[in-house]
Amino acid sequence: MTSRSESPWWTIALSEEVTDKKPLAVDLDDQPIVLWRDKQGIARALEDRCPHRRAPLSLGCIRDNGWIQCGYHGWSYEGDTGRLKQIPNMKDEQRFPPIYKAQAFAVAESNGFVHVNLDPKATAPAPADRTMPLAGTAHVALEQSHWLDALYDDPGLVIDIKGVEFTPYLMSELREENGLFVMERSCLWGKLHWPSYAKAEFPITLLTRTRPDTGETELVLRDDAFNVLLTVRLAPVPAARGVTQIRWRGEPGLNLKGFHARRFRRGSAFTVREAIDATALRVLKPSVSLHGKKLRSELAAARTVAVAA
Amino acid sequence: MLEVADSPVTTDHGGNEPARVTGNAMNAVNNWVPHDIVMRDTWFPIAHAVDIGKRPVRRSIYSHPYFLWREDGKIVASEFHPNEARTREKSPYSDARGRYPVMEHYGVVWGWFGNPEAADPAHLPSLPFLPPNGGLPGYMTSTIRFDCSAPISLENLIDLTHADFLHADVVGDEKSDSETVETFYDSETVTMVRTCINKSVAPIMKFFSGIRQPTQNVRQVIRIYLRSHCAIAYGRFTPGDDVPLFHPCTPETRDRTRMEMVMNTSNAGFMFRHIMPKAGYKVSRQDSSMTSPQSPRYMLPTTRKDLHSKFDQAGQRYRLQMMDLVTRQAAGDFAYRDNVSADCSDIIGLRKELFRF
Repeated sequence: MTSRSESPWWTIALSEEVTDKKPLAVDLDDQPIVLWRDKQGIARALEDRCPHRRAPLSLGCIRDNGWIQCGYHGWSYEGDTGRLKQIPNMKDEQRFPPIYKAQAFAVAESNGFVHVNLDPKATAPAPADRTMPLAGTAHVALEQSHWLDALYDDPGLVIDIKGVEFTPYLMSELREENGLFVMERSCLWGKLHWPSYAKAEFPITLLTRTRPDTGETELVLRDDAFNVLLTVRLAPVPAARGVTQIRWRGEPGLNLKGFHARRFRRGSAFTVREAIDATALRVLKPSVSLHGKKLRSELAAARTVAVAA
Repeated sequence: MLEVADSPVTTDHGGNEPARVTGNAMNAVNNWVPHDIVMRDTWFPIAHAVDIGKRPVRRSIYSHPYFLWREDGKIVASEFHPNEARTREKSPYSDARGRYPVMEHYGVVWGWFGNPEAADPAHLPSLPFLPPNGGLPGYMTSTIRFDCSAPISLENLIDLTHADFLHADVVGDEKSDSETVETFYDSETVTMVRTCINKSVAPIMKFFSGIRQPTQNVRQVIRIYLRSHCAIAYGRFTPGDDVPLFHPCTPETRDRTRMEMVMNTSNAGFMFRHIMPKAGYKVSRQDSSMTSPQSPRYMLPTTRKDLHSKFDQAGQRYRLQMMDLVTRQAAGDFAYRDNVSADCSDIIGLRKELFRF
């Protein structure tokens, strides 16, 4: 994981998953995190570990005043700083030394996602409120870097867009553009047609823009008239034991033309596959992902030079 | 203010032990890696005596196999199953025939773990509320397992403030007019006495023992025999009943615990006598919901210190005493400096008139 000094903002939950009713346990690599909303409705994040006896705080509850209470001994912490506020048997004692606190993390919320930065002093990104109506959470038993490589090399192994067949042919190879890794893949509607290698034209393409640090990716499906058919924001987060937690939000385009595109308005247009065909994955030839590795190393080298200068 | 690891505590025998150096004491409390603790030369309770017949049953202590059966009515503990083809060397903890020292007392089968030649009934913990020859009805006994290390389970027991919170629906909440906690210890035991005046009545007593008053006075004692990982939990409730519990935490492996529980409710009314021992099934699941995720977090050393409150004094003392024994054993000293089989009735405040055998 990135060191704290350059710690990125990770999209760790959907806004509606974080409530003032029940704490939510998530993790970032091996770092367990508990999320909840305080009395003001602000999302809070602490290390999911009570500093008293190391029990997960997520097994506790949220009190009426917005503090999180450990389920083991009832120690209560406030979310902003993680400071200990109350011990049940010591209710007369309202002040505790500053060291009595749980590890707090920075939290920000935008576009219907909750973001966490392991650096509690990190500056929050500019807020944005364009919450797309479709949303989902998936857990995949594949490391985040492998999951992203599969998304580059054969998206059909890890995601499903209703009625869409991903081809191996690209409109543009992976490149760096304004700090994002961008590529565009040709796609077909999944109906009776000539095989993709024999098609002269492709009716749709999938534009992919990925943040190199977190892997957060925007997918835009467009037709050959440049109408946006579907937009999805994917946030694959490395979790414990090599699992990848993927939160996503999406919305169909406004100008849906044709039978297949209009189907996006009904049911689920997009899903992340929780079960991956391991046989196909094993033999999947790296192609785009190789460019990705090269681009990443070039970015890292450029950063080193910039720091040295 | 809250760090109380060095608060003065007294010993069972009133001895004047040298004061601990602060730095060392704090290290012992915070360098707490219970997963690494392996106690030797001690009796571990491994089965209820009534569960052992002619057919061998398997138990384990720190992953060492203990096969138990009866030969001419006498308990045998062997490292090998009678039908087992021997493909492994015997351990140094059994005799030439591969048999461990074993004894039957208090209705429990005790297996010796350590040097077989050092096995001595004099090292058996005193449990004065249990009939020496057993014979309590089956509903007062049960076997409960915890997927955490045994020292974590014992620490959970001696930490009474969690009971007011985690087990409030069984034993009542933390509200009381006054509360005092005293801790006594020697080289083999730690005893905590908690006295509460006008504490909220335990719901289980309200429902099954007919207590109508809103509050009751409570004297709770936890006495831990460090080496054998056994504990006494004795509650005296006024109004209410006396509830003495034998709560062993036998380390089947370094992070799995088996409890051959015995609760002597002979003196309680019919309903409470039958229901209270069953509360262990509920309480143990509540404990396990915390100790199970807690246990792996204590498996490796960390530089991060646990926080403590003044109510953790007994738990801290337990950690210190346990680590003292660990240090002694690591240096090859397995001698008993204090007598664990001496009658502890007075130490735990047992109302002897209720428990005559």
